[in-house]
Amino acid sequence: MESSNALQLDTPETPNTLVDGKRRQLLQTATLAAGASMLGLSSTATGAWAAGSDKPEKTEVKIGFIPLTDCASVVMASLLGFDKKYGIKIVLSKEASWAGVRDKLANGELDGAHVLSGLIYGVQMGIGGQKKDMAILMGLNNNGQAITLSKKLADKGAVDGPSLAKLMASDKREYTFAQTFPTGTHAMWLYYWLAANGVNPLKDAKVITVPPPQMVANMRVGNMDGFCVGEPWGHRAIVDGVGITAITTQEIWKDHPEKVLGTTAEFAAKNPNTCRALIAAVLEAGKWIDASLANKNKMAEAIADKSYVNTSKDVIDQRIMGRYQNGLGKTWDDPNYMKFYNDGLVNFPYLSDGMWFMTQHRRWGLLKTDPDYLAVAKSVSQIALYKEAATMTNTPVPKDALRTSKLMDGTVWDGKNPAAYAASFKIHA
Amino acid sequence: MQSLRIVVVNPVAIEGDDDPAFEAQAARGKALRIGLLEAGYNIIASLPADLYLPERIAQLQPDMVIIDAESDARDVLEHVVVATRDARRPIVLFTEDAKTSSMDAAMAAGVSAYIVAGLQTARIKPVLEVALARFRQEQKLLAELSDTKLKLAERKLLDRAKGLLMDHHKLSEQEAYQKLRRLAMDKNLKLSEVAQRIIDAADLLG
Repeated sequence: MESSNALQLDTPETPNTLVDGKRRQLLQTATLAAGASMLGLSSTATGAWAAGSDKPEKTEVKIGFIPLTDCASVVMASLLGFDKKYGIKIVLSKEASWAGVRDKLANGELDGAHVLSGLIYGVQMGIGGQKKDMAILMGLNNNGQAITLSKKLADKGAVDGPSLAKLMASDKREYTFAQTFPTGTHAMWLYYWLAANGVNPLKDAKVITVPPPQMVANMRVGNMDGFCVGEPWGHRAIVDGVGITAITTQEIWKDHPEKVLGTTAEFAAKNPNTCRALIAAVLEAGKWIDASLANKNKMAEAIADKSYVNTSKDVIDQRIMGRYQNGLGKTWDDPNYMKFYNDGLVNFPYLSDGMWFMTQHRRWGLLKTDPDYLAVAKSVSQIALYKEAATMTNTPVPKDALRTSKLMDGTVWDGKNPAAYAASFKIHA
Repeated sequence: MQSLRIVVVNPVAIEGDDDPAFEAQAARGKALRIGLLEAGYNIIASLPADLYLPERIAQLQPDMVIIDAESDARDVLEHVVVATRDARRPIVLFTEDAKTSSMDAAMAAGVSAYIVAGLQTARIKPVLEVALARFRQEQKLLAELSDTKLKLAERKLLDRAKGLLMDHHKLSEQEAYQKLRRLAMDKNLKLSEVAQRIIDAADLLG
């Protein structure tokens, strides 16, 4: 079994710094495991896709990522050599902005990227940029983002949604909230949360776009009242004493989709074997991260490096293990922390998840009319490719491509009637 | 020709940030500003890509915004592009990467040009002038298109109103048109507005 070989990486590797020597050693261990499993892999693979060879069309894939905790499975797939196991080489490319990731994906400068789910649908629908047929190969993580309110606001009693709404109603002025990209996931979580508390994000507040690593610095100098961003920046605001966690995104939607592995429809069509190998490698990395606390520790150590997230390990390692604090003395163990695998539930590209982002784009006026939600989601989510990669890695696949989710305001989303769902919200653009 | 009023956007320095990617970005930004100045451009402001950027751009009303394509400032600018979808402005991105220059389609959204390693002083001027001319041309075409669409819609209203008058008052098309025009003049309304009122009234009265 290839997976059991890979899991040998669990054996205590002195979790010192994963500097060059260590990394090479880790890589060699993984390559050995990969070599041993290659035989098993190719025998199961034979005949799985009848037409032609399963050899990756492109063996070197350039994958972009943004410095955030949830880039971990993509980075670890490369560092631990899971890519080699499936006959490809992941070349990581650190990107400065989501807009840059979008452009580079669209013009083929990047083969794939760690990217916001909502951004992929934004490009597919041509919102704010060029329209291009896109593909989601898999989900990379669920949960693990947060909405932070400034310490100043907390001192005035605004520590969660209801108390924020109350303060905004009584102490009137312009309130500024930041997200990371106009069509991205954080904008949608922020808007949903504000609206669920009776605040219209477009009319009652000012919403701005700020790159993730700049959130905390901006809050420190009083430029904003709150922000929604991925970890480690929510926790960093608490450590730095400038903000408090008002709500985690898993409290808005338990096990919500977040980052995905995105590429263009054209790349997926031309390179199905490469895509399959890529999905399999990242699936194994996600499985490895979720397997133990020791692995999470090693992951935090590895991605804290300057080449990746560029922060201290201790800012990353608390919340990825579910150890939460809100910055006001409350601490809790959250079972719904950032997951990278969760028996494959994280990674399946649910059609209902994809459609949800379009319903919210519609709700907030980014889409002027209702698209054919299901048709668009079907063309973007590469479910067939995903399923084959899941078979290669023994990853369970859910029966239904739609799932039922209950969001924080009690609204149930099951993907069945997206236009009606999009129109059902009292607060909208 | 008067020189373009340009706003250059710079990446934001984060305290204690020793990220090599950031340093490279800062170096490119500096080279870009020097290049523009040497080419004789009027840099009216060099703005940080912070949360005040959208407001400052709105205040300054530059002829063009110039930014490094690899910069984190892109996301803030993306906000400007989405927020001003219906009133676009020329934005030029400089990039080191040849592939990015093929992004003709990106221009449709408000980004007017991707310029590759375009810091040779000799090239910079014609390239920017062309980008601006192209943006203006596109804006003109878009305006014409929406104007045509509007006229078409008005025309349809007029035809329906004429039809109603012809049916109800047994008028010829010419007479119906004259009646509408007289009404518009008397009430000091546009022809299409009168047409809309007649259609509304007919709907109401059945």
